[in-house]
Amino acid sequence: MSDHRQGAKDKLVVLGTRRPTAYWKSTDELHNGVVDHGEFPGGLPPITVDYAPPAEGAVIPTGHDHDHDHGHDHDHGEHDHEHEHDEPGSDGPNRRDFLTLMGFSVGAASLAACRAPEIKAVPLPVAVEDMVAGVPNFYATTCGGCASSCTLLVKQRDGRPIKIEGNDASEIFGGGTCAAGQATVLGLYDNERLKGPQWKGKAAAWAEIDEQVTTSLRQITAKQGKIVLLTSSTNSPSLRALIARFLKEYPTARHVQYDAISASALRAASAQAFGKPLIPHYAFDKARVIVSLDADFLGTWISPVEFARAYAHGRRANGPEDAETLHVQFEPGMSVTGSNADQRVPTLPSQLGAVAAALLARIGKLAGQAVDPVTDPVDGKILDSVAAELWKHKGESLVVAGVNDTATQLVVHTINRLLGNIGKTVDLARPSMQRLGDDAEMAAVVDGINKGEIQALIMHGVNPGYDYADGANFAKALSKLALVVSTADRHDETNADVHALCPDHHFLESWGDAEPIAGYLSLQQPTIAPLYETRSFAESLLRWMDDTTTHYDYLREFWRTQVMPRQTGLTTFDAFWDHSLERGILDLGAPADAVTDGGAGDWKAALATIRDDAQKAGGDKFELALFESVGLRDGSDGNNPWLLEMPDPINKVSWGNVAMLAPQTAKKLGLSDGDIIALAAGGVTIEAPAFIQPGQHPRTVSLALGYGRSSVGKAGNGVGVNGFGMMHVARGGRRNWATDVTVTVTNRSEKLASSQTTFSLEGRPIVLETTREEWKEDKAKKEKGEPLLNLWNERLKGDKLWGMSIDLDACTGCSACVVACQAENNVPVVGKDQVQRQRIMHWMRIDRYYSGSEDNPQALHQPLMCQHCNHAPCETVCPVLATTTSSEGLNQQVYNRCIGTRYCANNCPYKVRRFNWYNYTTGNHAGYNMANPTGRLVLNPDVTVRTRGVMEKCSLCVQRIAAVKNAVVKRGEPMQDGEVKTACQQVCPTDAIRFGDQNDPQSGVAQRMNGERAYRVLDDLGTRPNVGYLKKVRHGQTT
Amino acid sequence: MDKLPDGVADVVWIEGSPTLGKVTADIAAPMEGKPGKLWYFLFALALLGLLDLLAMATWLVANGIGVWGLNNSVGWAFDITNFVFWIGIGHAGTLISAILLLFRQKWRTSINRSAEGMTIFAVMCAGLFPLLHMGRPWDAFFIFPYVPNQHGPLWVNFRSPLVWDVFAISTYFTISLVFWFLGLVPDFATLRDRAIGKIKKVVFGILSLGWNGSHRTWHRYELVSLVLAGLATPLVLSVHSIVSMDFATSLLPGWHATIFPPYFVAGAIYSGFGMVLTLLILTRQSMNLQRYITIKHLDAMAKVLLLTGMIVSYAYATEFFSAWYGGDIYEKYHFINRATGPYAFGFYLMVLCNVLTPQLFWFKKLRQNVAVLFVASILVNIGMWFERFVIIVVSLHRAFLPASWGMFYPTPVDIGILVGSFGLFFTLFLLFIRYMPMIAIWEVKTVVADQQHTDAALAHAAHAGEGSSHGK
Amino acid sequence: MASKILVATFTQVDDMLRAVKQARREMLRVYDVFTPFPVHGLDEALGVRFTRLAKITLIAALTGLSFALCLQFYANVLDWPLNVGGKPDNTGLAFVPISFELTILFAGLITVGSFLLRAKLFPGKKVWLAHKSVTDDTFAVVIRRPPAEDVHQRALALLKECNAANVTEAEADL
Repeated sequence: MSDHRQGAKDKLVVLGTRRPTAYWKSTDELHNGVVDHGEFPGGLPPITVDYAPPAEGAVIPTGHDHDHDHGHDHDHGEHDHEHEHDEPGSDGPNRRDFLTLMGFSVGAASLAACRAPEIKAVPLPVAVEDMVAGVPNFYATTCGGCASSCTLLVKQRDGRPIKIEGNDASEIFGGGTCAAGQATVLGLYDNERLKGPQWKGKAAAWAEIDEQVTTSLRQITAKQGKIVLLTSSTNSPSLRALIARFLKEYPTARHVQYDAISASALRAASAQAFGKPLIPHYAFDKARVIVSLDADFLGTWISPVEFARAYAHGRRANGPEDAETLHVQFEPGMSVTGSNADQRVPTLPSQLGAVAAALLARIGKLAGQAVDPVTDPVDGKILDSVAAELWKHKGESLVVAGVNDTATQLVVHTINRLLGNIGKTVDLARPSMQRLGDDAEMAAVVDGINKGEIQALIMHGVNPGYDYADGANFAKALSKLALVVSTADRHDETNADVHALCPDHHFLESWGDAEPIAGYLSLQQPTIAPLYETRSFAESLLRWMDDTTTHYDYLREFWRTQVMPRQTGLTTFDAFWDHSLERGILDLGAPADAVTDGGAGDWKAALATIRDDAQKAGGDKFELALFESVGLRDGSDGNNPWLLEMPDPINKVSWGNVAMLAPQTAKKLGLSDGDIIALAAGGVTIEAPAFIQPGQHPRTVSLALGYGRSSVGKAGNGVGVNGFGMMHVARGGRRNWATDVTVTVTNRSEKLASSQTTFSLEGRPIVLETTREEWKEDKAKKEKGEPLLNLWNERLKGDKLWGMSIDLDACTGCSACVVACQAENNVPVVGKDQVQRQRIMHWMRIDRYYSGSEDNPQALHQPLMCQHCNHAPCETVCPVLATTTSSEGLNQQVYNRCIGTRYCANNCPYKVRRFNWYNYTTGNHAGYNMANPTGRLVLNPDVTVRTRGVMEKCSLCVQRIAAVKNAVVKRGEPMQDGEVKTACQQVCPTDAIRFGDQNDPQSGVAQRMNGERAYRVLDDLGTRPNVGYLKKVRHGQTT
Repeated sequence: MDKLPDGVADVVWIEGSPTLGKVTADIAAPMEGKPGKLWYFLFALALLGLLDLLAMATWLVANGIGVWGLNNSVGWAFDITNFVFWIGIGHAGTLISAILLLFRQKWRTSINRSAEGMTIFAVMCAGLFPLLHMGRPWDAFFIFPYVPNQHGPLWVNFRSPLVWDVFAISTYFTISLVFWFLGLVPDFATLRDRAIGKIKKVVFGILSLGWNGSHRTWHRYELVSLVLAGLATPLVLSVHSIVSMDFATSLLPGWHATIFPPYFVAGAIYSGFGMVLTLLILTRQSMNLQRYITIKHLDAMAKVLLLTGMIVSYAYATEFFSAWYGGDIYEKYHFINRATGPYAFGFYLMVLCNVLTPQLFWFKKLRQNVAVLFVASILVNIGMWFERFVIIVVSLHRAFLPASWGMFYPTPVDIGILVGSFGLFFTLFLLFIRYMPMIAIWEVKTVVADQQHTDAALAHAAHAGEGSSHGK
Repeated sequence: MASKILVATFTQVDDMLRAVKQARREMLRVYDVFTPFPVHGLDEALGVRFTRLAKITLIAALTGLSFALCLQFYANVLDWPLNVGGKPDNTGLAFVPISFELTILFAGLITVGSFLLRAKLFPGKKVWLAHKSVTDDTFAVVIRRPPAEDVHQRALALLKECNAANVTEAEADL
């Protein structure tokens, strides 16, 4: 190990020049001097959301905290059962508007404004088994957010799932989740979902629809008409079996899997290289050197939660001392993964294949394998040293590519083989089933539909009308078919005029199972009675085969016959079932038909194609790089306000996607943030606001996918632009990049909803970092300042002193914590207009700074929330004692007492306090989920909903502390370290956040706080925060 | 008894030394006759402003602070700027009536009454803003100590400068009001005795508390005035010191400065005198009182402006020096940003108005040119408003963490409420000069009497062929 | 009980002063002088004692000060101590501003109050005017009408000599 370290050190010297310490201003500041937010905003923000009047007898949490809110927050659960059918979205009278018009004097208005609305509490008619009021139940299930199928524990309170948590029983996914997974619970309460099945646009009974579908399926089969079952990646074993049965039932049917953002080429390449189309299971924790070609494996690629966890584990197992992993990222624009790389190389999308080829050539030479060289697409020196590093770490290195191009993927497989990584960091025995889409087949289907060869189409979990190139025509073409069935949960871009709309359950309402990794099964169970007249897809299939079995029975039967035999230990099925259901996961080991490294595949031919491509893509035309956005992913959850408002981890823009250009390019085109530019390629033109993105390749424009939905719901319609139109299929893979792109500057401009506008540290010691070399030489320790003198005697404290430590070295910036905090603490969504006015309410934010050169800077992610100072500046200035320090070191905010002078926020050096500028729980002012009865069901009853005019901020999840305290009292044993987990800590896949009792020297947080990397932000102000940070450690010699 | 304590009395402050009866008649005239067109015009304007204030405030309270341009970075802007501005205006009044009384400055007599009135109205305007800027104004009573609820008393945070403000400003208002009313009592008596109308007789009868000019009462009365002046003097100094502590006790770069109390007091007097000038120039024109509010008065006030203006300029310089000398990176950045950042225009406006404008008053010609004085006084007001804006907004919009830097842009409601506060102020002031003796009749009489006496003495001295003006 | 008095009015301060001095030299009882403004030197002329109002002010001030200190100490330390920014409960310095303000407030109000009391000034008080224009431009000296006729004549002569505008006899209880 140590010789590696040694070797790594002197070899790494050639990886560019030493990191400059000077910080530069944000491109905004640099080029325009002032961050301009347009002319004076006039009048009031527009009313951008629907307002639904509280249903009669409904229990609505109000923004008013005059009396303690737990009381009426308490019983939402009942409300949904009684009133799930009332139509939200209808406009109701609004007390404040009325007042505004009628109010004659300040007095009158203020009197009226403080009157709390009426609340009616409806008791639970029938008590539910093992449901204790106020005590949550946790149910193990599987995430339906995307095909990664992470295992979850869903917190269910009074009959309502209110929070998603990872299932830490899973050794693959752990307790963490991603931002999108966190937000799925809000998707459940989306009042834009279909309320029931429809036949030809009219509400109909299930039986009726089943009859229609079945008969017409039978007729088509009789006429030998082709039937296509088009689903998204389906790794559910029970569903796959059912589909197989369906295909038998209807012999002319075929099953096609389609992913908006697929790994089709990777699977095709595997077919050539290993003899079977599969996605290897990558072990990032075992890799010492990771080279990624535009694979955003920490943000979106295949299974980000699992990969982030493994990555952090391998990289930072025992602190930076053995931070061996060298991570090199070749990518056009900065991704979450790239922002964490030791060495990031901006690369043209069209040249990524060439990079792989160049690496193969070098490694081939080292391996004594004859490979004809290619012209280096990037600095050859870097490629040399990367190849050398890979070679040095044979068997414990890993090369991955997100490029959806078979040739490139084949070359990458070959590299891994030459490096002897197959079977070590690249596991073929238990392949990943998380992306199963096949772009070629999908292309064939589209072709078939246009040619009229296909008579019937059943769509499940897909939305080609939105996310397939020329989707509009696809949707139109459907009218030619004899039968089109869609199980979409809403009127989307595809199902405008399908015959049957058979809405599927939300996964939180549904039974099911999944097999993300071969032999690694997990179960899915409902956590709430279906809100609407929906039916699970599996059950629909059963009905269409004239089978009346329920989904539940079918699933049990499947597990009894197919799954149980594959395990030993539990003998009775009920025991086995209950056990599996309770744990949610079942590891059956490698499947019998495991693949071992098969044939080699014709990688020489692949090299040739790559070489041609690389030459074709020459010249100085722009190239467009489309990437999956961390929040919205492929856009299927595009009506989710939490995700829409979550700032992008890199550019910090929310409510829309932006066309990112390199600073030098923007200067050349005379662009500044928000200027609308038109991107044209292959006859398609889209317009998007420009954004100056440091680290962007100067000849590329990057655009996030998943935005620009036209028919998804009030929150998501028309937010951002749809980039899928620019995708095209080539060599059997849908390419997420385009060459020969022309960029035209329009004279229009729009104001971006940025949560952060200055990207430079201004040379301030806020994010501290050191290099591994310095670290070794122990310089890093010197940076730690002497503890400040206390002016006053320490006050008496309780037996606990809560504290939180955040490891900047582990934080990848994935922003899952931001959404988790929002979900846990009823943080309101404020909408685009308010974010533009810099009034985002997030209690937890991630500040992102750049250092180094503008063309290829290093990024720093700093999660920041209330620092819970022992000497809190905010407390001293509050006139009414609305914020004080608890005996356990928490900085408390008393909403009832707050009168909203905002003095505390002004005096908070961390600017973490958030003010309720409006009442965000009423219809106007963009209340989103808080403003409609369905959406309110997601609220956490343990957390007061704040009214207008009061200050709020991070409470370190005081309600979670209280819950554990109660549990401890009940069981009578002392509290364990790590037993209390804050929402942000719980969700973090990389364990960057740790919370606990600082008084206990053994506690994880105390260990970290006293560690050598520990520091506190702005400590020299004497605020004595209870939240501390750990310095970032880098491979110093890289830049 | 010596009527000529010092040289000051030699200056003839009231022109043409009228008889006592004439003094009464002249000053009472505006209240008995009809005011000029100018008055009506100004009053109409002021009323419009007042209506605007009511409308905007209603809109604000009905919807929330969001109708202002504030954001997560900038929690205070126009609201507190206006508050400090108006409080500052008030200070000149107290200064003139109290401190100049202690110094036995005779020239104050013609202007102290209206200056005190201005103080009271300004403090009323100022008091409006702490109320409006609250997120929940209907809970404003929380800031009074001892709000009992089911759990017992709810105390306030006696460490918070905002609570100090509450005490300081309410005390200041009360004392000023009492002082003002006490000064009015003898004049009410005068008006009572010359009133023709029944109502006037009754009203002034009540207000005059049965004053009959007894010398024994006069004797105590003068002492009480002195005592009040003695109390008001430290009070006026304390009030703006405490207001300045809202900022000085925080840890924000640009706020956290020990120089603030004296700096703010000087600034307050400076802006206050600016406003007094504006008002008196308007008044003497609209009410033809040139004889009582003479060029000499204006000249004297211009000198005060010069002095306080210099103090303020010195404070500006000191701030920059300590930022540079202290070497604190945040402080340093703040002052660079003040002069070069997005709000630099505010900074230079403030320098132009508060540092350069007063320099005009080195020249007697300009000091005695009414037009110049009027323009200058307006500039002073603008400059001082921007001083507060710069201190508050520029400090807030770029504090410690660059990630949370932001910008403040005022909305129409911000501007409407600022304009409206002037409406309120001028409405009250114009009503005052219309219905109350806006010059202290009895005090002017003392001065007139002195002058007559001096004239007599001079005449006698000249007759006796002695050069001394201090005969007798 | 009402007593007989002489009211002599003057238009000039100096005449009035001379009249008062001479009258007292003549052992005439000068009750009071009514003037439109405080005339300096009258105190000596009339021999008015110095008032004790200043002492009241001092006591009032001390009351205010101690009240303020007690209130803050009780609230912060005794009744409801809270951890505010880690500061000690009894943060004496922070109490200074409020203590100061209340000192001034008490002193001011109580002084004025006791003045009005002492001078018997209150709304709706029945006014007795020595002369209708004493609040305008006339100075009225009020002397007890000497019972002895010769003394009375001497007094009249004296007043005339001091060019009194006019002298009238009246009855009033002073």
